[in-house]
Amino acid sequence: MKNARVFFEKNGACKYISHLDLNRVMLRAVGKSRLDIWHTEGFHQHAYITFALPLSLGFASTCESMDFRLLDDHADMSAIPAQLNACLPDGIRVYRCAEAKDKPADIDSAVYAVRMEPMNADDISDKELYSKLNDFLAQPQIITEKKTKKGKKDIDLKAYILDCDLSDADGVGMTLRLPAGSSLNINPSLIVTAFEAYCGAELHADITRTAILTKEGRPFE
Amino acid sequence: MYPKEIEKYLLKVQKPGRYVGGEPGAVVKDKRAVDVRFAFCFPDTYEIGMSHLGIKILYSLFNEKPYIWCERVFAPWIDMEEQMRAHAIPLYALESGDPLTDFDFIGFTLQYELSYTNVLNMLSLGGIPVLSRDRKDLNHIVVAGGPCACNPEPITDFVDIFFLGDGEEVDLEVIELYRVCKREGKSKEEFLRLAAQISGVYVPSLYDVSYHEDGTIAAVTPLDGAPAKIEKRAIMDMDACYYPDSFVVPNIEIVHDRAVEEIFRGCIRGCRFCQAGFLYRPVREKSVDCINEQCRALCRNTGYDEVSLSSLSSSDYTQVVPMLKKLNSWAKQEKVSLSLPSLRVDGFTDDILDEIKSVRKSGLTFAPEAGSQRLRDAINKNVFEDELMDTCRVAFEGGYTTVKLYFMIGLPTETMDDVAAIAELGRKVVDTYYSVENRPKGKSPRVTVSASSFVPKPFTPFQWEPQDDMDTLREKQKHIRASITTKKITYNYHDSDTSFLEAVFARGDRKLNKAMLLAHERGMHFDGWGDCFSLQRWLDIFEECGIDPAFYANRRRSFDEILPWDHLDYGVTKEFLKRECERAYASKPSPNCRENCMNCGAKKYGGGVCYEKRKSVL
Repeated sequence: MKNARVFFEKNGACKYISHLDLNRVMLRAVGKSRLDIWHTEGFHQHAYITFALPLSLGFASTCESMDFRLLDDHADMSAIPAQLNACLPDGIRVYRCAEAKDKPADIDSAVYAVRMEPMNADDISDKELYSKLNDFLAQPQIITEKKTKKGKKDIDLKAYILDCDLSDADGVGMTLRLPAGSSLNINPSLIVTAFEAYCGAELHADITRTAILTKEGRPFE
Repeated sequence: MYPKEIEKYLLKVQKPGRYVGGEPGAVVKDKRAVDVRFAFCFPDTYEIGMSHLGIKILYSLFNEKPYIWCERVFAPWIDMEEQMRAHAIPLYALESGDPLTDFDFIGFTLQYELSYTNVLNMLSLGGIPVLSRDRKDLNHIVVAGGPCACNPEPITDFVDIFFLGDGEEVDLEVIELYRVCKREGKSKEEFLRLAAQISGVYVPSLYDVSYHEDGTIAAVTPLDGAPAKIEKRAIMDMDACYYPDSFVVPNIEIVHDRAVEEIFRGCIRGCRFCQAGFLYRPVREKSVDCINEQCRALCRNTGYDEVSLSSLSSSDYTQVVPMLKKLNSWAKQEKVSLSLPSLRVDGFTDDILDEIKSVRKSGLTFAPEAGSQRLRDAINKNVFEDELMDTCRVAFEGGYTTVKLYFMIGLPTETMDDVAAIAELGRKVVDTYYSVENRPKGKSPRVTVSASSFVPKPFTPFQWEPQDDMDTLREKQKHIRASITTKKITYNYHDSDTSFLEAVFARGDRKLNKAMLLAHERGMHFDGWGDCFSLQRWLDIFEECGIDPAFYANRRRSFDEILPWDHLDYGVTKEFLKRECERAYASKPSPNCRENCMNCGAKKYGGGVCYEKRKSVL
């Protein structure tokens, strides 16, 4: 048995597939592709697939991954992307399959490209929005409320922004690196929501996860 | 693909996956390369519409024709409708993202009366005038089919054409006629006149209805050469009938998230309350080989690991065990599970249980419909108490602990004793559990008793019957609750308010169009959902329109009254329905189609169970 990891993009209509639904979409694709993978052996037998880091509803991504176990040790992994793509909706494209190197617990941070525009164009100009974004991020602290399993608590987002690049080339955008993984995960929409409150305009944010990184700062593989 | 401008609003609504399309199996064509664009509309949410078999069949059938592009449209939930109205986004089809105004046909399936307001709402959201007479050109033809088309009179002002019976042939014939008329530059009126000549096509604008002073119908007069009786279409050879080998597979979870195989159409039973049991006569089966091949193709092409073997009463399929065995010859290996919905109490055998529980196990649901044997005889639900108990015993021995029992209250001839017998039957099922020696150890049974309110429907032997008024229904619901003495029984009941409105529209006439329009203008939608339904708002509308809803819901019709649907012909004759009604009054059951022919009239279609060899000739 070989631990395989496929990497895929998720965009277009498929941005709106929730994590639970993605699991079902993938199970059907795996079933339809007839890949010979390990199934659970309990009463409700099903293909065993796992995901390293769930993606929020509405986010696009270029770096999602899914793990499964190939029963044949000599299976040709290079054929798997095409096999799965033939069974997946257009918005999900598998571009690579390789043996899993890192453990999901090795995930430390993720990079997001965030593009923002006001819901009502009259509310605020791009120029003004960009300048407010600069001011917003220059604050010593960005206190916001985070909902956790234990209830709501105030956190300082500023402390969690590991890297940040701003751009006004094509609308107002920022590239954020934030903590990710099972122990500490910061969702970029928290920052967007805090910024909305700061600039006083309702925003539409188009968010794409562009990289998942390990503790050493290299891509999760 | 969805229109780009909605992207901003999608994350403000629940389940945005409903509104974006892009599913595997969705058909995208070049709109310049097709002659006819058909918007198949389901007047409810995506999750419900996508679970419906009819849309799957017709979608694939239409799209097989190179000159037709059929797309799907669902009713946006109230949060999305709010966004669409606020930002002037017209209702669009999921494949192209184009608004309804780009379509030649806007087709609705009418599955339940409470979806009528959604039909009107979807038209107006799509920018289509709701009234048929305001759509003057030969485009935007609004058509509708499905069970409610058997009495479409309450919505005749809005729909141009109704399809009666099986749609696989007649729909294509009408689309083809449209294509010719379009090419020849004919008017909408000419097209409708020609369409009315096709069997199974009802063009309501070609019929004039006059009334007596008391509000009952005096006459229905066909105009412009339209036929006096409109016959439903029925396909006899189910193996040859079109069936898709793949479905659009949703990316989000829907209500029935599995492959569906129709194993036969119709039902032999003739339960007197059941409209489907009469509308879809005669019973026509598919062969085991045909079912086997279709199931296999569906699982391969969709990736589903569950197939539902669907029909009105699956255990009445003559080859049920051979079918299950044949399917399991590959299904087990491929980890595909089989489910048999709509199992009758008397059809639940060890053989069937062995085959369906082999992969997956769910709860059991049976529908005795009435609590006492006397009432079950009157409604012709030929189920006996000892059969139910035997079946439950088999199930409990097989490890089941949960049983759901469905009943109706307000059935014709029902007494309070019959109502109390519902609770009693539930108690007997609990007792049966404890009488089983090898029942699941250390578990207590869970028996759910659900009671819904009976709605008399057209083309049934109870089409003349009054519905119990709401006070009586509430009293009966209370009486069941009071009669339940054990905590092992969970009691659910359905709201009688919605059943009342359903009863008004089910047997309504054209006078109700006025109320429908007013309801639409008041923004009513999703009446089938507790979130939106308000009986009071409807009562106000009826009052303003000078309509007495009790005239439709709670009035006993005489056998010789002209009923609003009398000019539609579903095969079963009025004489047969009268005979069955009289047998109900005498609490006398009737044999099923395989036991003895009751001469219902469906034999005229020339096929199905009417021509099977009967086991015993009575």
